[in-house]
Amino acid sequence: MTYALPALVFVMVALATVQTLRRAAWWRLGAAAPVAWGAGLLALPKRYLVDVHHVVARDAYASRMHAVVAGGLLAATLLAALAALPPLGGSRIYWAAVALAFGVTAAGAVLVGARRYPKRPKRLSGGGFQILPVLLLAYAFGGLAAALLLAFGVASAPALVAAVALAAGGGLGLAYEVRSGPMRHAVAGALHLIAHPRPRRFDGGAPDAALVALDLDAPRLGVETPADLAWNRLLSFDACIQCGRCESACPAFAAGQPLNPKRLIQDLVAAATADERAYAGSPYPNARDVAAPTEPLFRVIGEGARIHPDTLWSCTTCRACVEECPMMIEHVDAIVSLRRHQTLELGAVPAKAAATLDNLRAAEELGGRPLAARVDFAAGAPLPVIGEREVDVLLWLGEGAYDLRYGRTLRALVKLLNMAKVDFAVLGAEERDTGDLARRLGDEATYQTLARANVATLARHRFKRIVTSDPHALHALRNEYRAFGATYEVVHHTAFLLELVEQGRLAPGALGGASVTYHDPCYLGRYNGETEAPRKLLDRLGLDRVEMARHGRRSMCCGGGGGAPVSDIPGDARIPDLRMAQAAETGAGIVAVACPTCTAMLEGVTGRTAEVKDIAELLLASVEAGR
Amino acid sequence: MKVVVLLSAGRHPVSGLGALPRLEAQAIRLGAALGPMRGLHAGPDAEAVAEALGRGLSEIDHVALGAGADPVPALAAALRAAAPDVVLAGRRGQGGDETGLVPYALARALGATLIPDVIAARPGSEPGVIEVEQALPKGAARRLVVRSPVVLTVHSAAPEPRPYAFGQVRRGRIEPLAVSAPEEPAAVAIAEKPYRARPKMMRGAPAGGSAADRLKAATGGGEAVQADVMVSPEPREAARAILAYLRQVGVLPPPARAG
Repeated sequence: MTYALPALVFVMVALATVQTLRRAAWWRLGAAAPVAWGAGLLALPKRYLVDVHHVVARDAYASRMHAVVAGGLLAATLLAALAALPPLGGSRIYWAAVALAFGVTAAGAVLVGARRYPKRPKRLSGGGFQILPVLLLAYAFGGLAAALLLAFGVASAPALVAAVALAAGGGLGLAYEVRSGPMRHAVAGALHLIAHPRPRRFDGGAPDAALVALDLDAPRLGVETPADLAWNRLLSFDACIQCGRCESACPAFAAGQPLNPKRLIQDLVAAATADERAYAGSPYPNARDVAAPTEPLFRVIGEGARIHPDTLWSCTTCRACVEECPMMIEHVDAIVSLRRHQTLELGAVPAKAAATLDNLRAAEELGGRPLAARVDFAAGAPLPVIGEREVDVLLWLGEGAYDLRYGRTLRALVKLLNMAKVDFAVLGAEERDTGDLARRLGDEATYQTLARANVATLARHRFKRIVTSDPHALHALRNEYRAFGATYEVVHHTAFLLELVEQGRLAPGALGGASVTYHDPCYLGRYNGETEAPRKLLDRLGLDRVEMARHGRRSMCCGGGGGAPVSDIPGDARIPDLRMAQAAETGAGIVAVACPTCTAMLEGVTGRTAEVKDIAELLLASVEAGR
Repeated sequence: MKVVVLLSAGRHPVSGLGALPRLEAQAIRLGAALGPMRGLHAGPDAEAVAEALGRGLSEIDHVALGAGADPVPALAAALRAAAPDVVLAGRRGQGGDETGLVPYALARALGATLIPDVIAARPGSEPGVIEVEQALPKGAARRLVVRSPVVLTVHSAAPEPRPYAFGQVRRGRIEPLAVSAPEEPAAVAIAEKPYRARPKMMRGAPAGGSAADRLKAATGGGEAVQADVMVSPEPREAARAILAYLRQVGVLPPPARAG
């Protein structure tokens, strides 16, 4: 009877393998993608134990639960399989060790159950996921009982049979669930970590957030059906455990716009699978009616398809979902590739966004304003335009320069640069839009045209580095223009001003008394990993700095990214209102911002009690106070 | 119903870069409701109108002309050969050296009716008939029924153009079209002069009388208006005044005669 448990394990592994292979047939429907298998396999332990657990650990209960249940399950299953070896199978000490491992699994299974019963948190999915603790408990307690019987040498055949039968019920259930149930996340997750479409995100450097350039000569642009996605993207969606951390982080979900990243990923899974189980998590808020066809691999987006276009256009591309996902799924990549098909092939963009894209194409500026008017904000202040001479700093003004409110920030920045005697210049009428907005709206053609034109312009001039106050421009110039062979040293104005302060070229005085909270721009924090320079700079101003609950890499979006302001999908609330309410909770009188879009969004909040000030404005006030 | 959209090489009003005039993009959307549609462009470079392919047009005929040549003879020849039921054009050009007269010149050359400022068009109740809606000043509109062939110029109040789709430009076709028409330089009948303010004539204003009288007559002010003002009237009196006014403007029938 000592072979009963090892035999069960072998049957379980065989069943799980069969179920994985059945599932793999769906992954293979995806497009080809280059995957570095060897490097991925070698990196798997680090990616799992460090990167995944870094995210999982943000929820302490889930982290402990997962460590106990997953560790116990693997250890118990492996040890039980080894009992097939004769000297081990006869050892009562060995069976005691097996019993210990099953005991740990049982404790983990209880933790899993306690999280879901009697009432499961809203963000977790129900349905098949509610069976998971039952299966785990059966497997763990069955295995525990069998191993204990063998460890104590109790020769009761009926008792052992009953124990192994219980373990078999749970264990085979778990193995069966590998194809379309909760246990899919374990197998698909491990494979996904090996074949991750963005292996560079595990390298520990700056986040890998640049979108992949689209080949505009490809026969079909963007993603229409799931089969247009790379196979390892389909695989990545199967890694989803439906923990709902993405929906808790999603600003559009919070504002009642019809987007739920978890549901979106599950819709993409269901769109590629004929017999996917019904989704049992939170829906899209204010879900729009769609008539989903039953056949798989149909087009995904549309009123007559699975996902309503409003869902797609609600995304602010803030990457909060990507940041929170313990399974390292890249939601924003999926959304942008779906948008690319809508925009480039179907011309199905929201009307206001279409007008903006027209301006970008025909006037190289999203408001259709003259490029020469970009420097009008300076209102006579000295603003050198670049010429033949090499300058230390090229100041990239960005779209904010056309905004009256943001002009104040740029005037403060220019004044600070002049005070610190920085050798700088602007491009003047030669500066075009970076194309960031076009790209997020899926208009890769316009983006590439603008990017090429900007790269050509920059190649004509000599400068050491680029300083910009616009994190969207920074991300485009620093990370996304690399696809056009252009590498620049791009510095955000907060980092540059900190440098000037540290070098003693600017001497801030104390702005005593006021308390300030800093709102991280997504494109600076999450997209570029820069969260410290603005805080260090604020600390030098003698302000009382307090943090919002969501800050740094886990900050919440202002609602201004990804073309959301021009797509303008209605919800229950406005994202900037939610964010300003979070800022108000800190009691800070000043909300410090570092991005023209955040400035516009947050300052547009009605009835706000806090002032919205760019860090450059605060620094200027402090430098002027110090004189 | 065969439809041809005239396309011109426009410019963006601010940047001066080449762009399809918005009115022509609207014309494409409007024409899609009528039947199979082709674009027609006469000019040196067909790429200038390629944007139209991304606005819902799949085929464009291009008549190659030298720069500065008058497009009207070539367009007229091409249209005579194609014999469309409906020719759509923008009501004015955008940024190029258009006169805005091309649709009129073509209508005369083809012997077709021209309906300006169209905001909607649909096939009529019988073959060869089109129902169009025409924009009038101050937001008014009227419906007309016309018999083809007809030249329609599109008003900016027509539905928004369809968003541009890059992928459709790749799939669209621009075909060269050879026509036998004399190529002659456009007659420059336009002279540029500096702007001179002119007195604005008030229509229907009386010529005589004092300035105050003329103003009163032109603005409808004066005693006649003030006589209708009643300050805190008796309800019965007020009702009578309202009824009298409604009868005067014809909302209510005249009072039935007693007996």
